[in-house]
Amino acid sequence: MTATSLETEARSSGMRRFVRRVLFSEYLVLWLSVLYFLAVLPFVPQMASVEVLRNILSDMLPLLVVAIGQTFVLIVAGIDLSVTSIIAMASVVGASVMTGDGGYLAGSPLAVPAAMLAMVTVGLAIGAFNGFCITRLGMPPFIVTLTTMMFFSGAAIWFTTFHTTTSSIANLPHGFVVLGQGNIGGVPNSLWVVLAVGILAHIVLARTVLGRRLYACGQNRRAAAVSGVPVRKVIAAAFLISGACAAVASILYTGRLQTGTPILGQTILLDIIGAVVIGGTSLFGGKGKVVWTVFGVLFLVLIDTSLKMLGLSLFSVFAIKGAVILLAAVIDAVRTRFAARI
Amino acid sequence: MALLECENLRKSFFGVEVLHGVSFSLDRGRVLGLVGENGSGKSTTMNILGGVLPRDGGRIRLEGAEFDPRGPKDALAGGIAFIHQELNLFENLSIEENLFITGFPRLGGALPFINRGRMRRRARELLEQVDIRHPPGTPVGSLSQGERQLVEIAKALSVDAKVIIFDEPTTSLTRREADRLFGIIERLRRRGIAMIYISHVLADVTRICDDITVLRDGAVVGGGPAAQMPTERMISLMVGRTLDQLFPERTCTPTATPVLEVRGVSQPGVVHEIDLTLHAGEVLGIAGLMGAGRSELARILFGLDSFHGGTIAVDGTVIEKPSPRTCMEHGMAFLTEDRRGEGLMMHATITDNIALASLDEYASPWARFIERTRLGDEVGRIGQKVRLRAADPVAALARSLSGGNQQKVVLAKWLLRNPKVFILDEPTRGIDVGAKFEIYKIIDTLVAGGAGVLMISSEMEELMGLCDRILVMNHGEIQAEYSRGEFDSGRILEAAMKRKTSAAAPGAIAEKVA
Amino acid sequence: MKLTRRQFTLATLMAAGTAGLPVYVKAQGKKTIAVLFDGLYSPFWVAGLDVIKQDLTKRGYEMVQAISDKDDNRQFEQVRAMLARKVDGIIIVQTDSNAVIPAIKAANDARVPMVHFNRPPAKTDAFSVAVVADNRSITNATVEHMVKVAKEKGGKYKAAILIGNLGDPNAIGRRDGFFDVVDKNKDIIDVVARIPTEWNADVAFAGLTNAFQANPDINFLFTSSDFLFPQIVQVLKTRNKFQPIGHKDHIIFGGFDGDAMAYELLKDKYLDADGVQDLFKEAELAVNAIVDLQEGKTVERVLLDPGFAIHQANLEQARDRMWGYSIYKQKNG
Repeated sequence: MTATSLETEARSSGMRRFVRRVLFSEYLVLWLSVLYFLAVLPFVPQMASVEVLRNILSDMLPLLVVAIGQTFVLIVAGIDLSVTSIIAMASVVGASVMTGDGGYLAGSPLAVPAAMLAMVTVGLAIGAFNGFCITRLGMPPFIVTLTTMMFFSGAAIWFTTFHTTTSSIANLPHGFVVLGQGNIGGVPNSLWVVLAVGILAHIVLARTVLGRRLYACGQNRRAAAVSGVPVRKVIAAAFLISGACAAVASILYTGRLQTGTPILGQTILLDIIGAVVIGGTSLFGGKGKVVWTVFGVLFLVLIDTSLKMLGLSLFSVFAIKGAVILLAAVIDAVRTRFAARI
Repeated sequence: MALLECENLRKSFFGVEVLHGVSFSLDRGRVLGLVGENGSGKSTTMNILGGVLPRDGGRIRLEGAEFDPRGPKDALAGGIAFIHQELNLFENLSIEENLFITGFPRLGGALPFINRGRMRRRARELLEQVDIRHPPGTPVGSLSQGERQLVEIAKALSVDAKVIIFDEPTTSLTRREADRLFGIIERLRRRGIAMIYISHVLADVTRICDDITVLRDGAVVGGGPAAQMPTERMISLMVGRTLDQLFPERTCTPTATPVLEVRGVSQPGVVHEIDLTLHAGEVLGIAGLMGAGRSELARILFGLDSFHGGTIAVDGTVIEKPSPRTCMEHGMAFLTEDRRGEGLMMHATITDNIALASLDEYASPWARFIERTRLGDEVGRIGQKVRLRAADPVAALARSLSGGNQQKVVLAKWLLRNPKVFILDEPTRGIDVGAKFEIYKIIDTLVAGGAGVLMISSEMEELMGLCDRILVMNHGEIQAEYSRGEFDSGRILEAAMKRKTSAAAPGAIAEKVA
Repeated sequence: MKLTRRQFTLATLMAAGTAGLPVYVKAQGKKTIAVLFDGLYSPFWVAGLDVIKQDLTKRGYEMVQAISDKDDNRQFEQVRAMLARKVDGIIIVQTDSNAVIPAIKAANDARVPMVHFNRPPAKTDAFSVAVVADNRSITNATVEHMVKVAKEKGGKYKAAILIGNLGDPNAIGRRDGFFDVVDKNKDIIDVVARIPTEWNADVAFAGLTNAFQANPDINFLFTSSDFLFPQIVQVLKTRNKFQPIGHKDHIIFGGFDGDAMAYELLKDKYLDADGVQDLFKEAELAVNAIVDLQEGKTVERVLLDPGFAIHQANLEQARDRMWGYSIYKQKNG
């Protein structure tokens, strides 16, 4: 064997090792995001500008919060379709409390905190209702959250009609708007909020008793019950957390649009669930991490941003987005097959 | 000339040879028993024969001709049918559709329409051969496990199989269903079909096989006519040493302190007026037929199922609202008979499984953080105590373990809580001989440490070898009680079957006492 | 995970390989205008996008587009993406008149002119220009013609109006325009049905069916948008009321938009009058406004498209200014 062929051999095996390491890394989606970013850069060079990167970050934030909530639900092998209606409902309820146009607390200094409290309460209440139907009445999560989604999507529009003649509730107090746009120490407030939610969620899942129990309920509900895990409470907790996260997302969305609108978030359901699943969280439960969801959201927002920048027609946007996500799914399926063989 | 001859079969996985030249032969109308511990190479050998795996060396001759299946379909076409432990039936389809799923009879021979009439006629013939009385249109989902097994056999007959391989066919069958299966095997033998029978239940192997081949570590270590292979010899060949005893010496005797007192526990249609007392240091066995209410009683005692009337007390304290949680808090532990379904999280690590029942004990007071170092240390200690063997005793997934080690994980999960009362439902089911002995030793250590063990088992010899007392359940009631020294399989059996109208085969509970 | 330099180079090369060769090159000196629509729900919006595109191409601009598909947050993100892309102007059909305000502010901060096409924003101190059809006066003219026809025919009339989504100022203008005229003619016209449609064809169909059940003798009908014609025709046909002008069961019928079906119905003498938004003029006004704003000229905050009413009497003369007629011409050679 000659020296050169030895060298090629070494290089190719190094290459193979590299491919394998990337393929089986739990950061695969992050690598795919980087790859995608580099791939679209020649088409839209502005993608690398500070402004766009900042946009990507700020577009990620609210989506990430809902997606983290959804991660909890998927870990217990559930699904929460009602998150979009929670976003819409919380948005109009919050706006109705604090709007200057005849809000319940218009002009009061308590208006902003009370409105935010009301929004979180809406999220917790709908989450609690979902949890109750699923754990106490034994209904499937898909049906329960599908119906709450339909009900509250409609209710949000209906609720709006009591507060305005237009399709949305505007004139939100200055304090609320500033809260959304302000920053502490150069870091935008919304980023602080999402960092807090994300770190908290990560700690709960990775370090606490509740976290272990959530995974156990998703892995094998019966084994968990036999081992003394309060299965119903744990599952209800997952839906409660999802509801609260959706409400926090609603605060962020409402803040950036400065409007309480009943159609808020109505079209992003598949983005939410898609981002979580692309990140690697299993639809069948027992598997999922907050960081994975961060990567999934990053991947999706990256695709979205690049397509927005390209300014293509709606149809090509859908087609390209679908194709890229499909490609990611294929890579995931391939690596799962490889993993099964080893 | 033998019907099937395997010579010097070899197989390696990732450069490691796991089959070192396995040879055996099989004649028409004979049943060959293939026994060995988990990992001894039984499944690999059969997978080669069934075309699931390619072989690396050696040759197979079927009816004198070279046989080299390139896939399961190929093997089936050659006349070798493989009936797997996990049945390959479509529960949503009917019996007849399952029988002909690989090749429906068509109208006019080639048209894309199923010839229903012919399919039904042929299905009836086949079902008759295996004694199934259901109409061919019955959905498979509504059949019992035993009947499904028979459907699989009918499927093998539909392609005129010359050799049928059974891999652990009785694990999910009731005793009665197993007997029915053995009847069919006998009938097939008379028709000249050759069979290979793989099982951990040595008594069954002795009963139905003509010849026995023992595998250990990928090689044949012994074999011969069944008549010359008593169970003891099979076991010593399988484990590679002579076992002086099948059961460990008990190192303690029961005390007079009751740890579990059950008084008048009833649930209509399930159990009736159950009274029992378990003492510290005692192994109390519960014998009985399938459906006698043993497992149901265990689930009631652990708060998984509800009951009307009666009390359960641990250490003299009555459990007010029995639920797994409250029972655990009172010091109870429960090992279920369904290890995969209720005992383990198969896709989780050993550590996560062991920790599951004790999370509260390892949580910080306010934020409920898990104290991971302390938990890890304890899990490691318990793992050693039960002599857990795994590639990685911390992070290996439960599903990667052998049955015996899986069961040790379940035991370790409860040991971590230091319970006073253990309820063990079929603790050795589906576990090979070596691992069984270790489980028995663990049980002995438990009672020596002052706990009480309530043990349900369908293996009579196990109960008689290990228990201080045996209760016999029948129709949801405790029918009889025997102390060590009065154990007699005949009397126990009689108590288990009393009041039964139909005189089932006396082998229904334990046909052989080792 | 540590990356060696060679691994990094390899990854970069792989990425470049995937990207392929055709590299996007921004045409030098060519101005780019972003056109953001809410959706392409009716022929009006499809034609609107088309007319704007033609106008921009004619002037040598490049157009990039995005559609928010009824998602106000997505539209906000689209505006920011376009601003990051450094477009020279934005023509927008907003999803929500309130929620668009932060987007206007962002455009103001980036000093990119923004023009609202056909839908005005809510009141705000942020600066943008809105091109809107004078819905009320166009509707006035249309309904006045319908009343004239009714008077000539004589008798009393029971009227129905299909009203749009009241979150849309256009819908409100058309509704008010309708009532301006009928309220002055209460002696002969009695409005018996106000049918809300939410701009949804199914809702409109159900509402109109119910109205005819309650009042089978409705004989004066106005729809706030032409895109509901197919549903209306279907309801009328099942009741044998779809008759040409001159027939005894003809319903005096008017619409708003000026789409291709309106032209056909006028031509076939089923429709009495239709309010036409002058789409060509609106597109021209919008693009002019952007050019003027870029050049630093002052532009009024609201630019009105006066529109016109087309009816049987002026069909031949006016149809060339009707956008639906040009679609009709294209389709029929």
